[in-house]
Amino acid sequence: MITPIANALCGDYSWNEFGPELFLVGLAAVLLAFDCFWKTLPKRVLGMIGALGAFGAAWALAHPLPSAGSVFSCLAALSTGLMLLLAFDYAKVTEAASGEGRYAEGSGEFYVLPLIACAGVSVMAKAQDLVLLFVGLEVLSLSSYAMAGFYRKVPGSVEAGVKYLVMGALSTGFLVLGIAWYFGMTGSFLLEPATLARSLSEQGQLIKGVLLALALLLAAVSFKVGAFPMHVWIPDVYQGAPVPVTSFLSVASKIAGFAALTSIFGAFRVIFAPGMEDVLLTFGCVAAAPLLVGNLGAIPQNDMKRLLGYSSIAQAGFILVLYLFPGSFEGYTGPLVFYLAAYMLATMGAFFALGRVRLARGSNAISAFRGLAVTNPLSAFCVAVFFASLAGVPLTAGFLAKLFSFVAAFQTLTYLPSLAYWLLPVMIVCAAAGFYYYFKVIRAMYWLSPDEDDEPVRVPFATGLVMGICAALIILFGTVWFFVWPGSCA
Amino acid sequence: MIPLSHYLIFSGLLFSVGLAGALIRRNLLVVLMCLELMLSAAGVALVAFSRAAGTMGLPVYDGQVMALFVVAIAAAEVAIGLALAVSVRRSGKTLDTDGMNSLKD
Repeated sequence: MITPIANALCGDYSWNEFGPELFLVGLAAVLLAFDCFWKTLPKRVLGMIGALGAFGAAWALAHPLPSAGSVFSCLAALSTGLMLLLAFDYAKVTEAASGEGRYAEGSGEFYVLPLIACAGVSVMAKAQDLVLLFVGLEVLSLSSYAMAGFYRKVPGSVEAGVKYLVMGALSTGFLVLGIAWYFGMTGSFLLEPATLARSLSEQGQLIKGVLLALALLLAAVSFKVGAFPMHVWIPDVYQGAPVPVTSFLSVASKIAGFAALTSIFGAFRVIFAPGMEDVLLTFGCVAAAPLLVGNLGAIPQNDMKRLLGYSSIAQAGFILVLYLFPGSFEGYTGPLVFYLAAYMLATMGAFFALGRVRLARGSNAISAFRGLAVTNPLSAFCVAVFFASLAGVPLTAGFLAKLFSFVAAFQTLTYLPSLAYWLLPVMIVCAAAGFYYYFKVIRAMYWLSPDEDDEPVRVPFATGLVMGICAALIILFGTVWFFVWPGSCA
Repeated sequence: MIPLSHYLIFSGLLFSVGLAGALIRRNLLVVLMCLELMLSAAGVALVAFSRAAGTMGLPVYDGQVMALFVVAIAAAEVAIGLALAVSVRRSGKTLDTDGMNSLKD
């Protein structure tokens, strides 16, 4: 009696598969115990241990040869590690804004929640059915709400937490209803193309319920990736949330969204088959809307976090276009993973710089980066590389990533010209607009002169190391192809 | 025997009421209640589908187990929501969502 139930509950999963996630949750429990019982331990040490643990989990997820799901998990674990390093260097603000008493009690969870969230992302990326996907996504969401509102002495942070919770819970509602309809239409929670194909062949035609399920699931997941119309939370929450949390939301949470999107599209592959032009056209609109909203919204921004928020909406649009790559719905995720990795390096680097500038000059405004080229030439160069990569300047990883996106849009010329004719112009205009607002930061660093009393921004070892490595990797990924395959790039 | 469609219409109505309330109402606590309503509506649909897919009077239990997951996670969500409501109140503001406008362009 026990075995069938256990089989029904566990399906094709095995414990070994989830080793890294179990490790992360265990580490989180141990760190919580440290936080609770070892009062004199500086809280930031928890962040350093957590970062090392997350990097360890990322390493474990990359060995043995990763499957499609664990590539996303690995990226998410890496970005969680980076986020915890950022939190380690940002501890002064965290302790002032959430700690009580001599040992900053109550600020320790700040370093534990990301680990739990990361375990959620990682489980979700590997999920083969909607139940595990739902639970993983909620583990991520619930920890993120708490993180966004963590600076309880700062009204902006609390407000960001509330806004994120309300919008997030709304999308959870869509997700659960979508899951219910998927279950109703197919009789199973398994995310396999065969499940849907079977029920579609029994019905003989595309049932409207399946489309309803797809629409609801897409709406829920587009909340996480920040696609239109579920993007409204992004600017506000990014602005209000603590800097490390913003970096987590813009990278790890986005990776989670695309991992979920990939598994959902994999299951709904039948619907995207040739002959289903309407669905593909709708999907083209879904991809074009965040491009327009993100790029147009970013242009007037003066606040760095809001700028990065709109930038993340815009980048989500370019990533969504990648799904038009032939074979994407069959699980070919190469360009997608490359884009996410390039985005992660540039965005995390930018947030590390923002954290230091925020501490030194007390402002998140773009103008706070004034004259960084004079006071901190090395950091300024790294930040210039990050924003050049986000804009898509040649010889950076971001350029190649955007190139993939354009190639994907060009490919639709062959099978769906009515989509390509308007999607390509939109993408070109948006990529051009990106140059304007990303270069506002570079302009502030290189063309504005520092104020009289501006001292050089102090860059601690961890931040400097991460910024250096990110910038080096961006340039490496942008140029290495000329040496590896000299013919292929010509 | 009530047909499946009646349950689904009920679930859709419940979901719409929840969605409309979450978008229209201005008190944070009421918004949280409306969000719970949306999740309950989905739960109704899950249980109805699991009953309809069953054979010989036995439902497909997958759907009901999922409904339990939904209830558990809804509880966790509302716990965090109420904690945030307490912090909002402590930071000296009302629970009126119109007052939450310090973050903007």
